[in-house]
Amino acid sequence: MTRHTASLPSPLLSRRRFLSDAGMGLSAIALTHLLSRQGLLAANVSGKEAIRPEMHPGHPYAPRLAHFEPRARNVLVIFCSGACSQLDTFDYKPELIRLHGQPMPGAGKLITFQGEQGALAKSPWTFRPRGQSGKMISDLVPHLGALADDLCFIHSMQGKTNTHGPGENYMSTGYALDGFPSVGAWVTYALGSDDQSLPAYVAIPDPRGKPQNSVNNWAPGFLPAAFQGTDFNATSPIRNLARPGSISPSTDISTRRFLQRLNERHAEQFPGDSELAARIASYELAARMQLTIPEVADLSSEPAHILRLYGADDSGSKIADTRAAYARNCILARRLLEKGVRFVQLFNGAYQTGGEGVSNWDGHKDIFNQYSVHGPVLDKPTAGLLLDLKQRGLLKNTLVVWCTEFGRMPTFQKGSQGRDHNPSGFTCWMAGAGVKQGYSHGATDEFGYKAAVDIVTVPDLHATILHLLGLDHERLTYYHNGLERRLTNVSGEIVKAVLA
Amino acid sequence: MAAIAAFVTLTELIPFVACADTNAAHWAFMSLRNPAIPVQPLEASGATHPIDAFVAARLAEKNLKASPEADRLTLIRRLYFVMLGMPPAPTEVKAFLDDKRPLAFERLVEQVLADPRYGERWGRHWLDVIRFAESNGFETNRERTEAWRFRDYVIAAFNDDKPYDRFVREQIAGDSLGVDVATGFLVAGPVDIVGSPDVVLTSQQRSDELDDMVSTTGTAFLGLTLGCARCHAHKFDPISQAEYYSMTALFAGVRHGDRPLPLPPERKAEGTRLEAKIADLEKNLAPFIAKPAVAATGSDRAGLPLRPPVNPLLNEETLTPIEARHVRFTILQSAGEPCIDELEIWSGSRNVALASMGTKALASGTLPGYEIHKLEHINDGRPGNSRSWISSEAGRGWVQLEFAQQQTIDRIVWGRDREGHFKDRLAIRYRIEAGLTTNAWQVIASSDDRQPIQGATEKPSGPVYNFAAAAPPDAARGRRLLLELEEARKARETAAKAPSVYAGQFSQPGPTYRLHRGDPMQKREAVPPATLGLFQPLTLDAGAPERERRLKLAEWVASSDNPLTPRVLVNRIWQHHFGVGLVSTPNDFGKNGAAPTHPELLDWLARNFISRGWSIKSLQRLILTSATWRQSSAPRNEALKADAGTRLLWRFPPRRLEAEAIRDSILEVSGNLDRTVGGPSYFLHDVDRENVYHYHPKEEFGRPEARRMVYAFKVRMEQDGIFGAFDCPDGSLVTPRRSMSTTPLQALNLFNSRFMLGQSDMLARRLRVEAGESEEAQVLRAWQLVFNRNPAREESDGAAAFARAEGMSALCRAVLNSNEFLFIP
Repeated sequence: MTRHTASLPSPLLSRRRFLSDAGMGLSAIALTHLLSRQGLLAANVSGKEAIRPEMHPGHPYAPRLAHFEPRARNVLVIFCSGACSQLDTFDYKPELIRLHGQPMPGAGKLITFQGEQGALAKSPWTFRPRGQSGKMISDLVPHLGALADDLCFIHSMQGKTNTHGPGENYMSTGYALDGFPSVGAWVTYALGSDDQSLPAYVAIPDPRGKPQNSVNNWAPGFLPAAFQGTDFNATSPIRNLARPGSISPSTDISTRRFLQRLNERHAEQFPGDSELAARIASYELAARMQLTIPEVADLSSEPAHILRLYGADDSGSKIADTRAAYARNCILARRLLEKGVRFVQLFNGAYQTGGEGVSNWDGHKDIFNQYSVHGPVLDKPTAGLLLDLKQRGLLKNTLVVWCTEFGRMPTFQKGSQGRDHNPSGFTCWMAGAGVKQGYSHGATDEFGYKAAVDIVTVPDLHATILHLLGLDHERLTYYHNGLERRLTNVSGEIVKAVLA
Repeated sequence: MAAIAAFVTLTELIPFVACADTNAAHWAFMSLRNPAIPVQPLEASGATHPIDAFVAARLAEKNLKASPEADRLTLIRRLYFVMLGMPPAPTEVKAFLDDKRPLAFERLVEQVLADPRYGERWGRHWLDVIRFAESNGFETNRERTEAWRFRDYVIAAFNDDKPYDRFVREQIAGDSLGVDVATGFLVAGPVDIVGSPDVVLTSQQRSDELDDMVSTTGTAFLGLTLGCARCHAHKFDPISQAEYYSMTALFAGVRHGDRPLPLPPERKAEGTRLEAKIADLEKNLAPFIAKPAVAATGSDRAGLPLRPPVNPLLNEETLTPIEARHVRFTILQSAGEPCIDELEIWSGSRNVALASMGTKALASGTLPGYEIHKLEHINDGRPGNSRSWISSEAGRGWVQLEFAQQQTIDRIVWGRDREGHFKDRLAIRYRIEAGLTTNAWQVIASSDDRQPIQGATEKPSGPVYNFAAAAPPDAARGRRLLLELEEARKARETAAKAPSVYAGQFSQPGPTYRLHRGDPMQKREAVPPATLGLFQPLTLDAGAPERERRLKLAEWVASSDNPLTPRVLVNRIWQHHFGVGLVSTPNDFGKNGAAPTHPELLDWLARNFISRGWSIKSLQRLILTSATWRQSSAPRNEALKADAGTRLLWRFPPRRLEAEAIRDSILEVSGNLDRTVGGPSYFLHDVDRENVYHYHPKEEFGRPEARRMVYAFKVRMEQDGIFGAFDCPDGSLVTPRRSMSTTPLQALNLFNSRFMLGQSDMLARRLRVEAGESEEAQVLRAWQLVFNRNPAREESDGAAAFARAEGMSALCRAVLNSNEFLFIP
């Protein structure tokens, strides 16, 4: 485990810089010399210089030290795709109920993503006080409501785009444009993983399909492909993971051995070449993953009371089936975190045939009937996951972040019974390692339309996640295309108020 | 000092401490120097090649020496991988080994430079630099079916050794230079096509499009990160925000989309002939026209009788001729989600709404899930319910058409179902607007002056030829003429149909403003179209014609006085020969970029490049024939200690092949590669063509997928299921240099995928066919095909024993996964 300061602006891993672990000292000296000749050494710049993690190319997932003492070791992101309405879940607005059916005062003729807005519309679900804190949470998500005392809400989130694709990009990568690395890629690039037989970063798509912006949500962007999220869920395994059916186990093993001999013989001509060694190591890790991933994805050992806790044993209706499938993904998330996977991204909602709002949170048309499906699918399994993490002590090390790409309008769209996109104000919540419990930060205006108090931007949220992992978001960088890139680009303030 | 500050690029809050007065002194902004070839090491080492002299001089500073020349087997394999992206065939290896005459390698270089696979290999490098892909990206990610023509243009440019200055000019302003396809460069990047009435969103989208064009132009040709000046003055390089917006003004008339290529002259003549014929027929038919409906709106209509009510079959709007680029049809009332089967917009005798004319359709939303109701049906020239558009919303919706260029329109024809089967979903209240831009609409027709609809109406309100009233012989003649007219119209449409290419659409832009903090809602002062002030700045009139803007920019970029353009290109070419450029930051030659390892060599090469007519092949010939490129790649301990990164080139730095070269090489050695050059892309994905396109990596591959990967349809966001994991960029961002990571997913894909097992079987079959039944002979052949060498005795014995035990396919699976196969030696 090493922590080094910045080096050559190379888009590669350290490549041939390391002759071998033993020879590292010498080559580091040579490198220092080379760098100082090029005037690229960051020495003597006071405490703000870029910190680019050094890693052996053969072991990209080896655990690496944080910049400072971390509060959290692992992250679980729960992403509600399609833009989950804050006003029907966690952001209670008495004024919205009082002025239901009237035009929003001061809003004038409001044109949003799909067009003109109608009157203010209260939520079809009743809000009730929950837990000791008395936090008002709607009847759409009663199981999550029951955990109010464990959650740390941020009600003043603000995005910067009102389309789904760019919105998901923004929440997952910090940029609305395509092509940037996801939070999970940054985190595993910085920290590696505590487990060397599973991918460091796993994305679990919803059982109904991938989110609107698909793999961009767990993309490596310009970071090396090693830091891409590996996507699989409880129902669809990793492509090419299993030994092909046409190959017998013994042939498979002896072919591996034969390949290893070929590679070792070849490597003799290039003593100490770390890239060749890295490829040999990658086949070993692949072989381990072939065993560990099916094992971790196999839920058959989970006892009945755990299945019940998540709702994974539900059946009998379309909603129950979907809920059970999502619940199995929730159990998978817990099993991965248990194994030490650094970053797990769990999706609820998918882009799918059938139009907006049918299989995700994009409730433009008929929010009552659409959310009457999505609420129950999300609620019990997610609450079960939190309870299970808590009872196993995993919440002590795991930061949980619940998010969505943006919020929805307090008005119904003109001529419809649903809410249009609204990036001006929405809710996210956190739980677990390093954050306050039973706490609410920031607020939207009286109707829940715009973030008004203690506004938190997406880069602020990202800076806070990195901070909890012991990473300085201004110093974790990667050189690409002429720039030292950061997850938080040129902004990001840690939301200190939510830190425990 | 400057360099240290440059390192802190990241932190916006840290002020730029480099002295402003050093701006002019930055090496890359200065004219090309004319460095003398170092003499000293030449004499000492016996080197006779200019490149070797420069390299030896730097090595000497470190007390290092170059490595000896690699053996011939290594040389030909390296040459083929680097230049063609696949290994040589055993016959090619043998011919080279047998050529005992002097200059054998030089002859091999010529042969390789003349090989059509060269352009496919090097064109791919360029496509990375300019973020080329064939889908839009973002959530819709729709395909660009005509983008491949630009990819073929790039490949041909390399194969033909098109002078680079010309190549640059064509990509920026090819429409002025007789090479229309080349402007595919301008719009090769991603674009967000999600439409919305929200002006904040649409302004941001447009602003992002322009930024993509400006930034890519800056990085690709100039090695300058212009995009950094979008929100504020560039932190490191002397580029102001106003200069950035002046650069965007040069592109302000460019929009994404297909553009028809110019018609061949004979087709043009045919079109003119048919136009005349149609005009003649229409004149002869005029007496039969039933009294036409006259539409006018607003106060103009005062006192006029109301027009007939809307009709499900056909409605015509006669317009006061108006100039328009966009037409929007907004439905304000209908029962259920409204439907339009075809929207025709006529300019004289041409229906300019047709997609085949380059017109693009946008809509508020489309009823999902129906093959027969799609937006593309609105202007496909095929009426009827089964080729119609239905809005996604009940009672409302809009369709917007954008013409390829400005048109004078005089008539609009539309209907619900011209085949007469459906009368529901009719737009009862509607408004039609036109505009030159999408923020200056003018109402040109509406339902306001129509009689209210009363029950079911049957009769079309469009122009109808009425023959009943005429005398029978006249009527017969009229009907015959009408038949002829319809045929002539069809023929004209065919004649006018030119192939198109995704190369952008051009129109005269309005003024460009500086945007405060890059926010499109915060316009500040207007800025003129102008190039950067770095060297010989060029400022145009605010109203300069669109075409001239890009042409002037093209000339400025490709001028031999511009020191960046040749330096940046020479460095890119060097990079793909050695793995890293002389400047390790190929897209940033500014102050924040890395300094060159061999500054004199870079300038010497750049000058040489210009003096040889910007010929890339000449430059490569020079590099390939140097001892520096031909030296062994074997590591040497003392040299590794001094220069572990091999930046000083004391050996040839070996490296892994990229995604495309791996796939191509596998197909080549298995004997399965289809070397067909050019043409439409094949797919590595199955595509769900819904409102949002989804691409699912294929598992089964056949002959169409056996072509080189550069011909695979390049999808944004979704990678090929096997080779995408090898750091293959998706064209969302420019990729000047690929990362080369090593991951377990790569190993799984290469070891377990059906594709690889299939190729292993095919290679095994090939070995049997070419080498007979003996395992030893098959192993020998395998080594020759895969590694371009004969196996050592113990290798051969071990491999044959393995093959006997596990089968030849298993052996092939192993060798195709081996490091020796995947690394450039």
